[in-house]
Amino acid sequence: MNIKSTSHVTVLLLIPACFVATLLFAPRAYTQDIEFRGFAENATYVRSKGVGLTKSRTTLQLELSKVWKPTGLFSEFSVSGTFRGTYDAVYDLNDDEFGKNSGRSVSFAAPGNPAFFGILATGNPATPPFPPSTNPEWAGIFPPPTLTGAIPLPGVPGGNIGANNPNEGLRLLGDDVHNFEQGGVVLAYPTRPCDIDNRGCLKDYMDDDESDLRFPEFNDDLDFIRELYLDATIAFDNGDELGFRIGRQQVVWGRTDLFRVLDVVNPVDFSRQNIYDELEDIRIPMGIVNMEYRAGASGPFEDLNFQAIWKFEDFRPNNLGQGGEPYAILGAGNFFRAMKTCWDYGCTAWNFPATDLAVEFPVGAIGIRQANLPSDQDFGFRIEGVYKGVGFSLNALRYTSQMPSLRGGIPADNPFTPPIESQFYPYSLAFDIDFPRLTMLGGSADFYIESMKSAIRVEVSYTTGEEFPNTLEERLFSESDVIRWVVGIDRPTFIPFLNKRRAFLLSWQVFGQHLQDYARARVNAQGIPTVADVGMVDWKDNFTTTFLFQGNYLNDRLTPQILSAWDFRAGSGAIVPSIDWKISNSWRLTLAFNMKIGEGAKGFDDDRAANPYPPFTCAPPLAAAGSPLCGTAFSSLGASGYEPLGRFRAGPFGMAINEDEYQLTLRYRF
Amino acid sequence: MKHSLLKILIIGVVGLSQTVAAESFTEEDINGSFYPYNDWTPAAEGYSVGVVIDQSNADQYEAILDEALFRFVKDGWVTIRTAPTTDFPLSDDYVAATRQYAGDVSVAENGTLNNFVAGRAFPQEPRADDPQAGQKLVWNYQYGFNSGDSETIYPFWWTFRNVKTGKVERTLKFEWHFLNFNHRVTFDPKPAYENNPGGIYRGIYGIVKEPFDLANTQILIHRYQNDTKRDNAWLYVGFQRRVRRLAAGQITDAFLGSDLMIEDFEGYNGRVTDYSWEYGGTRNLLIPFYFHNDMELANVPENDPDGYRFIDVEGQGNCFPKVTYQLRKTYTLIGRPKDPNHPIGKRVINLDAQTMTMASLVTYDRKGDMWKWFPIGKAHSDHHLPINKGKGVALDDFAVVIDIQANHCTTLQFKSQVTDDVNQPKLFSVQNLRKTGR
Repeated sequence: MNIKSTSHVTVLLLIPACFVATLLFAPRAYTQDIEFRGFAENATYVRSKGVGLTKSRTTLQLELSKVWKPTGLFSEFSVSGTFRGTYDAVYDLNDDEFGKNSGRSVSFAAPGNPAFFGILATGNPATPPFPPSTNPEWAGIFPPPTLTGAIPLPGVPGGNIGANNPNEGLRLLGDDVHNFEQGGVVLAYPTRPCDIDNRGCLKDYMDDDESDLRFPEFNDDLDFIRELYLDATIAFDNGDELGFRIGRQQVVWGRTDLFRVLDVVNPVDFSRQNIYDELEDIRIPMGIVNMEYRAGASGPFEDLNFQAIWKFEDFRPNNLGQGGEPYAILGAGNFFRAMKTCWDYGCTAWNFPATDLAVEFPVGAIGIRQANLPSDQDFGFRIEGVYKGVGFSLNALRYTSQMPSLRGGIPADNPFTPPIESQFYPYSLAFDIDFPRLTMLGGSADFYIESMKSAIRVEVSYTTGEEFPNTLEERLFSESDVIRWVVGIDRPTFIPFLNKRRAFLLSWQVFGQHLQDYARARVNAQGIPTVADVGMVDWKDNFTTTFLFQGNYLNDRLTPQILSAWDFRAGSGAIVPSIDWKISNSWRLTLAFNMKIGEGAKGFDDDRAANPYPPFTCAPPLAAAGSPLCGTAFSSLGASGYEPLGRFRAGPFGMAINEDEYQLTLRYRF
Repeated sequence: MKHSLLKILIIGVVGLSQTVAAESFTEEDINGSFYPYNDWTPAAEGYSVGVVIDQSNADQYEAILDEALFRFVKDGWVTIRTAPTTDFPLSDDYVAATRQYAGDVSVAENGTLNNFVAGRAFPQEPRADDPQAGQKLVWNYQYGFNSGDSETIYPFWWTFRNVKTGKVERTLKFEWHFLNFNHRVTFDPKPAYENNPGGIYRGIYGIVKEPFDLANTQILIHRYQNDTKRDNAWLYVGFQRRVRRLAAGQITDAFLGSDLMIEDFEGYNGRVTDYSWEYGGTRNLLIPFYFHNDMELANVPENDPDGYRFIDVEGQGNCFPKVTYQLRKTYTLIGRPKDPNHPIGKRVINLDAQTMTMASLVTYDRKGDMWKWFPIGKAHSDHHLPINKGKGVALDDFAVVIDIQANHCTTLQFKSQVTDDVNQPKLFSVQNLRKTGR
């Protein structure tokens, strides 16, 4: 998605320049107020445990708006724009870790390989093992007796997958989270920007060049135009108003901090700093027609408004961070890049089909074939108002999921046979990334409870059409309706021994998620008992809680706070103490320590023990017993590990368990 | 049948015993209440108009300075320049409404008002032997004509200052709007907006223009006709782009880091029934009432379209208004919060008798120590902006909150305009916060 030519850059820069000039020099006769402000900021983050610099981002943001005098039909008319450009020097200052020199050669300890190869080569379990490998490199040499690495499956042409897929610029999936002690499947993923190493890059989804990573707003999506919209209002004689906001904008629904239950109109850029940046800064503004009918006080309602939105800009998913970026939430980008590499180049899988083995898959057998970005458009409707002092909203949104779904069922090769097939193998790890269409219905309310001296916020949504990994299904995913909810309590509280003049804000939230069509079992789809749980990776019910403790000193110029979060099922969380110092009206310094706590990685069925390619992948005990089941495909028998699916259980805290960071941000506002 | 009659009688007697009967008033009461300076001038021993009061002679004038101001003068923090007492007549419409409706008003057992429509609820002179005197005074203040029916304050600068050094720490630049949904006397519709399903009495709306980290922060407060109903307040947080409901605790917390709490706005900004009120006597006090256009003004705001300039600052830490003070008749009103966890021990409000606006407030903490001083400088509406001429409102013009214990102050510089131009109900809606925010 990089900028291809100088002329292109010129065009991109001319657009906001023209806009700014229009705003600044529009005839005074037609305009009233013009506002121009912005900030320059440097955010420098350093990660512990030897990683070093993860962010050295310098930002320039300009915010402009101009209001025109009431004219003709319109009682109000204005144009607003927000322009942002950033340069993240981490890709230059720490390019050994993130950037053009990142990654390394990887190797797997696979002492079981010789014996396994013997069995594989002869089909006879009594075959004596080859001598142990002395140099178990990722890309091995075949055939024996010069076996030095992973064992190519019979479908690997020439027995070697090394061509165009060198063992360099790689990391092992999950090596930032765990030490592979659970013995689960491990893949390698390329880490360098896509113009330097295009392995594993997903076209139009996760294919950022080095310049895209350094200058994330300057891309073909014109993200440096964060917002640019016009506002117009038509006032009616009865006091009602019809308002339009048209252009690239953020539409904010809901009443919740950190979590997004109703606030799903805009996708989010998690690559900026996982979930920890303000949503205002990480929502990806979209081209939207936003209409509001503001009825004001009506009937029994103290305030009543109707909103309709149509998102006309091309679909954009959440930015999860691609493989090799400092912030790749859930490590999903790393996983996808590993899988895409597998599909395009073939790959070595460690601890596959069992612990201490490493085998090579051919091209087009397992992995991610492509990301299919839809072109559907989103529509939403909201009623919002106040009734008897209670603020409420009812929301409906028909939209495309901003989170990816791994859909199996694509035509693929059988890695155990020399011919190159192209057919669907049930339970095989061959996917496309898709973004399903969803329908979300929900509502929210806020009110005050005097006996608690607290403001209460409630949000709930019911979404249909969401897809989740499910190892019981032939295509390894299934749909489930999802109920999400949040309850938040805000209570200002005086704690005299800490500050007798200013109350502390205690803000507590609990977020719940319930999967209506949950599937999880200790028998597989064919009724065979499994060694561990199989089915949907996500939890049927999960809860995450957050607590904010915020104080203010020196007339709010010094704001210390502790933000904490805990994912109950994942058993992981974060504690983020920070102090914010408003040095003057213009200067502001923030120092934070982002600390993760808890269990970290979680394991789950990784589909190793499925039989997608009968009889080759039949479980050894069944094969040894001559079970007729070996002749047909069956779902996983529950062999589990951290990778690759455990990340969805560990959640954003568990998968970032080793991402403790010291963070310093200096901002100058003008 | 007999039982039913008895029941009605009992209910009637009980009902009567739960209210204080409406009091009649005379034209003499009206004149005394609204025009006290027609045939009378306040005086104090040793005081003459034009005297300058400073550290050297403060003791001599202790009786005509409120408790905090005396302390400041005595400490050499400020010098008081005095000017003649002048008439600050309220709108004839407000006086007429008082004549029309005050005779029907009474205080209910729970401290709320019965039969109040508009105007001054109790134009009679307060009596020390009247146990309801404090309650009546606070209602006169609550339904006073402080901002007329509708007012805009823009620009409105709040400047945080270190009292000891005078260093300006931060300046918040606001735009504020006030609207009475009920008890209206000058602007249509009178006496109330009909379409008011929430029963709102008064709406207060403010938006921060600067500094930029707070820009677009907005506050909306609804106070209800039913004084036993808790105020609702919402804050639009610019960087979150969300409307947050405020908990009541935030009403008694420092607002955006200033020395004011939301409950302090206009002197006392809360439910009458949240406090118990006591009449503390009548005093002639020197208070900052003046003609704005006759003052030596600041050189800000620059480039004001009306050429308007704020009242300047002077004195210790630049925390005091550079204005003249008048000797005026005041009522002392003492309020004590009923909530034992309230951070304030008591408010001593000095109400200007003629306008029933708060001239000064001295706040004490729960230990009984003096905590804050909050005078509001009042400008005569005929000697201010042309738009205010003839409006009959004692305009909010300058205020300061000095936190005596923290040696910190917040000065408030106003450009007040009594107008209904933009102050329509829709401005005071939650949706307007979202619309105005980004």
